[in-house]
Amino acid sequence: MYRLNSMRRTALGALAALAIAGPAAAAEPGLTDTEIVIGLFGPLSGPLVGYGLDPINAAKMWYDDINAKGGIHGRKIRLVVEDDKCTANDLVAAVKKLVTVDNVFMLHGGSCTAALTAAQEYINREKVPYAMLNAAGDNAVIPPLRYTFGAFHGTQRTYAAALTGFAIKELKVKRVAVIVHDDDYGKANLLTTEAILKAANVEVVAAERIPPNIADVTAPLLKIRAAKPDAILSGAYPAPAVLIAQKYAEYGMTAIPLLQAVQGIPTPAVFAKNVGNPAALENFYHGWSFTDVGDEAIKKKYADMYKKHYPDREAGPFMITGLPSAMAVAAALDKAGRNLTRESLVAAMESLDFKPEIMAGPLQFGPNRRDAMRSGFVVKYDGKTQKMMPGVYTWNGKDGL
Amino acid sequence: MWTALLLQAAASGIVTGCVYALVALSLVIVYKSTDVVNFAGGELLMLGGYLGLLALIYFEVSYPLMIVAVIVAMFVVGALFERITLATVRGRRYAKNPEADLVPMVVATIGLGYLLKGAVRVVPYTEEVRRLPPLVTGPPIFIGDVVLQRQDVAIIAATIVVMAALIVFFGWTATGKALRATSQNPRAAALIGIPVQSMRMIAWGLAAGLAGIAGILLSPKLLMTPDMGNVVMLAFAAAIIGGFSSLAGCVIGGIVLGVVQNLVGVLYSPQAMSVTPFVVIMLVLVLRPQGLFGELAFKKV
Repeated sequence: MYRLNSMRRTALGALAALAIAGPAAAAEPGLTDTEIVIGLFGPLSGPLVGYGLDPINAAKMWYDDINAKGGIHGRKIRLVVEDDKCTANDLVAAVKKLVTVDNVFMLHGGSCTAALTAAQEYINREKVPYAMLNAAGDNAVIPPLRYTFGAFHGTQRTYAAALTGFAIKELKVKRVAVIVHDDDYGKANLLTTEAILKAANVEVVAAERIPPNIADVTAPLLKIRAAKPDAILSGAYPAPAVLIAQKYAEYGMTAIPLLQAVQGIPTPAVFAKNVGNPAALENFYHGWSFTDVGDEAIKKKYADMYKKHYPDREAGPFMITGLPSAMAVAAALDKAGRNLTRESLVAAMESLDFKPEIMAGPLQFGPNRRDAMRSGFVVKYDGKTQKMMPGVYTWNGKDGL
Repeated sequence: MWTALLLQAAASGIVTGCVYALVALSLVIVYKSTDVVNFAGGELLMLGGYLGLLALIYFEVSYPLMIVAVIVAMFVVGALFERITLATVRGRRYAKNPEADLVPMVVATIGLGYLLKGAVRVVPYTEEVRRLPPLVTGPPIFIGDVVLQRQDVAIIAATIVVMAALIVFFGWTATGKALRATSQNPRAAALIGIPVQSMRMIAWGLAAGLAGIAGILLSPKLLMTPDMGNVVMLAFAAAIIGGFSSLAGCVIGGIVLGVVQNLVGVLYSPQAMSVTPFVVIMLVLVLRPQGLFGELAFKKV
């Protein structure tokens, strides 16, 4: 009898202890006392692998370093990595597999906004916290969705605000021409640019919207030349950005500053080679939101860190874009504390406000804000050297909405 | 000011139109010789451009040698595709009506396009937009207020030369006439001793070689990505406008298309430029289905 009572008491005690100490850990998928499982995904194959391979490596590197230092509140981070090929079908399949088969605690990934927006409805329905890797399209984060946090290096509105702010403040422009694509990104860029210029009493003398697959930019460039602007703001993608710079030089417009948003110049040296005309870059600027251009020590620090983790691979230009989201996830996990739940992580992300040394400004969210980075620099590039221009320009969260 | 603006737009449109025309010529060769519409024409052009770039980078060959190497390599690619794939498809005879056999062959060209695009993407240099060095460099040429790059002039010259050479080839050489005979009636051509299978291989080799030339000329202008073959849709538009069976017609169709696109861009909106070719196709198909220079084909039954 005594023996039975003793066993019963022990069992009840164990159940009570579990009820008091471990309800959160037991209830949350992908979370134990010793580990947090994160589903990491991005393009690891296919035509857009360049956007994802190095950023994923960079995020893994950051988590590995955290684990080497003991993890976060006693828990190590375990990654389950999936290839999304930057296509909607593959990305949705990867996300569903990570959530239902691997039972991850949270998701971290995506290099292509168009693909990841296909999974957002599912992610929010399942209430899985999700940090975008390096995708930064406006329509993934504006309007905000509760479980999605992204744009860690700026949306189109951030890029537009940086270039426009610089043109007004440093170039003292009074007449501006804008050339963007006729898609959602171009629309966000144009609306923001026009709003900022209007507030500063600067006239938009030409606003050209071009198809992303345009083969000849003669018509828009001729219209811009005829409008006699003080500066040209371009939100073009890589191939049209090169065509624009070529025509701009061909039509003798190099006295007019040409300011290109960052998405058009993924690798400055390749861009310069493609343009093939040094005159086109005599008065050329581009946007950027990382401090690695102006600070050699930071550039070297992260390049060395990457080399240490991946001795056989040279870091590509997108490597650094994988870091801010990993830094933000780690900071939020730390802030959420030991009693971690998916909801407490969302709350921690919402109240996040810190500035990594690699970024132009702070990474911030809020109850109605899901785009992390609103600050950007402008860099002058002559085809050989990049020179950081003075000032940090910040989107106010209203222009262009 | 407007005159100078429109003249410049028209001049650039002529160059862009020649770009479309070069690709269209490659399509028309295949169509004239084998009745097959080649949906891989754009990807063959893309392959030619990348082969040229890789020859310059990896093998550091001279530009003229690179051109010859690309033409030869592309000829082999085209001929092999015909021999390995199309000949096999044709040999199976899917339907009693020989014309129905064209459907699997057209589908095979779509497959070739995907195959080439996938194969090129494996190469490291295709991760970013690239540009082949231009064939001709130097300061731009001014004609009044109109400015043209030397590469633009080279594209116009090459288009004219290629078109003339093809007209001579199909009109005055034995091989060209044999190719046409093969297209019009393969059985009768075989009966009079024309090696029909070899003719088809030659036609595909020629078309692929021409696509390679187009790739080398266009890559400095359009820039290179694995998706650059999408320009084939504009080449189809050029060929339809000019008449799918007319070599001169597709060149003129390309130029008309390039000029109209630019004028629409200047006078109306650059946003409308991507729609323009399809509006023009609709108009041509409704008003003159055989194209500006094509002939209505009748078949006795």
